[in-house]
Amino acid sequence: MAAAIPTIAEAARQIAAKKLSPVELTRACLDRVHALDSRLHAFVHLTEERALADARAAEAAIMAGGAKGPLHGIPIGLKDIVDTKGIPTTCQSKLLQDNIPDTDATCTEKLAAAGAVLMGKLTTHEFADGGPSFDLPKPPARNPWNTDHFTAGSSSGTGAAVASGMILCGIGTDTGGSIRGPAALCGIAGLKPTYGLVSRAGVAPAAFSLDHIGPMAWTAADCAIMLQALAGHDPRDPASADRPIPDYRATLGGGIKAMKIGVIHHFHEVDHKVGAATQQGISAAIETFRGLGAEIREVQLSPLQDWHACGSLISIVERATAYEEWARTRLHDFGERMRTRLMLGAFVSGVDYVQAVRRRRELRAELKAAMSDLDVVLTAVFPNEAPKIDALPKWDVFHGPSFMMPFNVAGYPAMSVCSGFGAGGLPVAMQLVGKPFQEAAVLRLADAFEQATPFRNRRPAL
Amino acid sequence: MPIPITDDAFEYLIARAGLTLTDAEKAELKSVCDGIAAMAARVRQPRGRMAEPALTYGFTEEDL
Repeated sequence: MAAAIPTIAEAARQIAAKKLSPVELTRACLDRVHALDSRLHAFVHLTEERALADARAAEAAIMAGGAKGPLHGIPIGLKDIVDTKGIPTTCQSKLLQDNIPDTDATCTEKLAAAGAVLMGKLTTHEFADGGPSFDLPKPPARNPWNTDHFTAGSSSGTGAAVASGMILCGIGTDTGGSIRGPAALCGIAGLKPTYGLVSRAGVAPAAFSLDHIGPMAWTAADCAIMLQALAGHDPRDPASADRPIPDYRATLGGGIKAMKIGVIHHFHEVDHKVGAATQQGISAAIETFRGLGAEIREVQLSPLQDWHACGSLISIVERATAYEEWARTRLHDFGERMRTRLMLGAFVSGVDYVQAVRRRRELRAELKAAMSDLDVVLTAVFPNEAPKIDALPKWDVFHGPSFMMPFNVAGYPAMSVCSGFGAGGLPVAMQLVGKPFQEAAVLRLADAFEQATPFRNRRPAL
Repeated sequence: MPIPITDDAFEYLIARAGLTLTDAEKAELKSVCDGIAAMAARVRQPRGRMAEPALTYGFTEEDL
């Protein structure tokens, strides 16, 4: 069923050549939703009529010579913490079951302006954090490679929907790995951009200073297409960066000769040792990059546990702050996992928080110095293939440091790229991290890797 | 090593946060909350009174 799923780049070429109709493409995606979503639970709200209306409008405009670009007529989905005017935005919480926003989030507006076809709202952990919980209004998403297994989260529905071809791309958000995690475990590409590059306006907060919005798609090139539509200054977001936006696809396919990659070996070989498949994927990727002409070096940073502690303390406090009123008055309307996160806020003092924010400055300066003569650094995303969905520790913040949190702490752009498959047939991934606002370098390396390896040719057998 | 939290301190912090927890939730939370103290110990390093926190919003030129 999944063999005919095009990438955005392929679909856009065929649409431009009038060989593919946006309406046909949308119907094919809707067919996949109807066939698969009772098993995958990627959607919390399917907007079928809106999708067909968007697709017809796109088709008419393109036929009339009004093509807007590569996202015009492409079926997409939005994580259900992203506001959509007139469409429920529930954050997968009992607290917001009746919430219908009267405005769009900035990222919703931007994708609509690019001509994308809105297929619906996608499953998330509650308020982009508490999951997977089985006591939420809708069930958690399932991994398309094996539905007994976890997608990771919190952008769980986006990961499952893209991997299974129900949509060609979607919006994820990332506070401590919520784009890169599901991208890794679902075998797709996911980019957390530099903090401030993509507006957070109209997106429910998890932790204000760690929250990022970004693209999830099958390939790095598709992430580049999506980022092009999403990036840019927005006065509605106080953290929005006012900088020129480059052409993110301009350097794709141009080779990576002389690019300099630093490998943070101690993160994934000492501080939190990864399993054999992940290590093999990383080692083989390094050799692939070397073979393509990149220069490989070793990078030493503070222990992963320091980055994890710093980010976790900030995240716990900022989340407890954002949801304090409901925690005080309606704590048991949250799901079990979100409640655990909110409870922890009681145990972090004001001084602890500011010490963490001071440590953050030191860690960011350390990463800046380590990358002064590098284009990208590389480490793991997760230690292993996806675990079973019912085998996850409830207090996961205390169960091994995250490979992703360091780059939320630093605000640097970071991407998950599929680097192979483990013994269980599930994907494994590596993480590529660029300098601030240097997403183009990350995308260039990721695209070169995808072109040089066979991993983008394999889809889940559903 | 962080000092284990006392029952009184635990109850005070829960009350101060305005949280209403079941006995089972309290027991479970008490079994893990020392993990927070361990994280706090990791970020609390000698750095003097002049050390600034990171800016919450926006990269300045010195960050780039």
